[in-house]
Amino acid sequence: MLVADGLVKCYGRRPALDGFDLSVAPGEIVGLIGHNGAGKTTFVEIVTGLVRPDAGRLRVGTHDALRAGRAARRLLGVAPQELALYGGVSVRENLRLYAGLAGLRGRRRDTEIADVLQELHLTSLTDRPVGILSGGQRRRVQAATAMVGSPPLLLLDEPTAGADPETRAALLTAVKARAEAGAAVVYTTHYLPELVDLDATLALARGGRVIARGTQEELTRHLPGELRVAFAEPDEPELRLSTTDPGADLAALLASGRAPSSVDIRRPSLDDLYRSLETTAQQNTPTEPEPHDAAA
Amino acid sequence: MQPRESAARVSVLVRHNALLMLREPGPLLSRLILPLVFITLLRPLYLAAQGRTAGTEQAVVGTLVTFSLLALSISGSAILTERIAHTWDRLRGTPLHPVELLAGKAVPVFAALLAQQLLIVGFGVSVLGLHVPHPFLLLSILLCWSGTLLGLGALIGVLVRSMGELSAAYDVGGMLLSSVGGALVPLSVLPAWVSDVAPASPGYWATRGLHAALAGDTHTVAAACGTLLGTALICGALASVRLRGSSGRLVAL
Repeated sequence: MLVADGLVKCYGRRPALDGFDLSVAPGEIVGLIGHNGAGKTTFVEIVTGLVRPDAGRLRVGTHDALRAGRAARRLLGVAPQELALYGGVSVRENLRLYAGLAGLRGRRRDTEIADVLQELHLTSLTDRPVGILSGGQRRRVQAATAMVGSPPLLLLDEPTAGADPETRAALLTAVKARAEAGAAVVYTTHYLPELVDLDATLALARGGRVIARGTQEELTRHLPGELRVAFAEPDEPELRLSTTDPGADLAALLASGRAPSSVDIRRPSLDDLYRSLETTAQQNTPTEPEPHDAAA
Repeated sequence: MQPRESAARVSVLVRHNALLMLREPGPLLSRLILPLVFITLLRPLYLAAQGRTAGTEQAVVGTLVTFSLLALSISGSAILTERIAHTWDRLRGTPLHPVELLAGKAVPVFAALLAQQLLIVGFGVSVLGLHVPHPFLLLSILLCWSGTLLGLGALIGVLVRSMGELSAAYDVGGMLLSSVGGALVPLSVLPAWVSDVAPASPGYWATRGLHAALAGDTHTVAAACGTLLGTALICGALASVRLRGSSGRLVAL
């Protein structure tokens, strides 16, 4: 549904994207993660047509998005990082605008709006001006403007930034439902547990390129977890072991005749993966300039 | 661009922008009501200076040009508000063509600007006894002037970075352009250097065109319309260039 191939974008001499590759299949949720300045938002802006890359190719569906941008954007629903809503008019009117621009009219438009409002727990707020809503409610309205019209590609740029748990849960449920219905989703976030909840595949961006791509299992398999063992003897200290094979280490421990009172195995998390890749990249490129992200 | 789809998208935007304007009617209402108060209070001054016919005409034309320049705020804020709220970029992420986006934004503003001018002329005719022997000439100059205001307002809207700057731009700019253009006080009684620089002000061409339209001087109306339309096109083009890419964004206010 989305294929980015070698995208390059420089602001002056600073590269925001430096050979950015990413592909997203229908029904797939890709969690695009990385520090501020990694190029996530520049990538989103290129896909939405706000920024033109210096080099590279981009396909959305069957369209060359750099040559037929408007045709590509017909397939796209966007929730930008910054809230972009009309505060003076109601939730319904905000959605009506984007539904209308998506080509929906009459009863079909109204039904679609009602459905997306219900999906994001916004039905009771339908006729309230957006300007008086809470931050979390506005986040949900913003996501609703992206989802109305059921676009086959969703770009959600930190959709839960500053959101409360209720908003986050509603959004994640809605995003999962859209993916199950066949939408391709690009989801940028700094809240890595959300990607676990979404069962997203991951793309880690750094220095304007994707440095790792795969499922959570694939990317964390080689990382060490932690084996914690407490012993029955009160004077024996708790054992903490960083290991890639906790089963074998535990078996070896038991074979040595020691008697654990409790065992705790912590598998590597996305945070561990993130820290590991960051550390590796920094060691490999010690003099690389910090890339500039246009919206950062 | 499929014409039917395009028209549908523009109509969605026009409806939406008209709704935005009507939901916050304060600025529009003040721009509609204030000129009528102004014209009523100042007309005796013009009558005393220029006589009944010429005085009434100067009062109506001067008020129309001055307050329509102050109404630049309507077109300027229509764009600036979208930039501040990030909705402009959001709309650019939809299938809208830039022309559709600008048309959807311009139509309600143009209607508001034209309504203000027609209200002032209508007030002049019905209450003050202004004589309009050539209504189509007058309408043509009003349409061209509204277009100029739209272009000027759009340019200001993309150049300024805050509502404060916008307010200063249309207050100072509007009064300057109308005064230098001879709208409030006839150029004949102003210093000679003002007459020399007056043609540089769009307000001058609006004032000149309006007087000519009331007098039935087609040639002068055509020249004024051409100048005003040219100004509108230049301003609109500059605004479009400024809005293209990331240069039209407000990264920080």
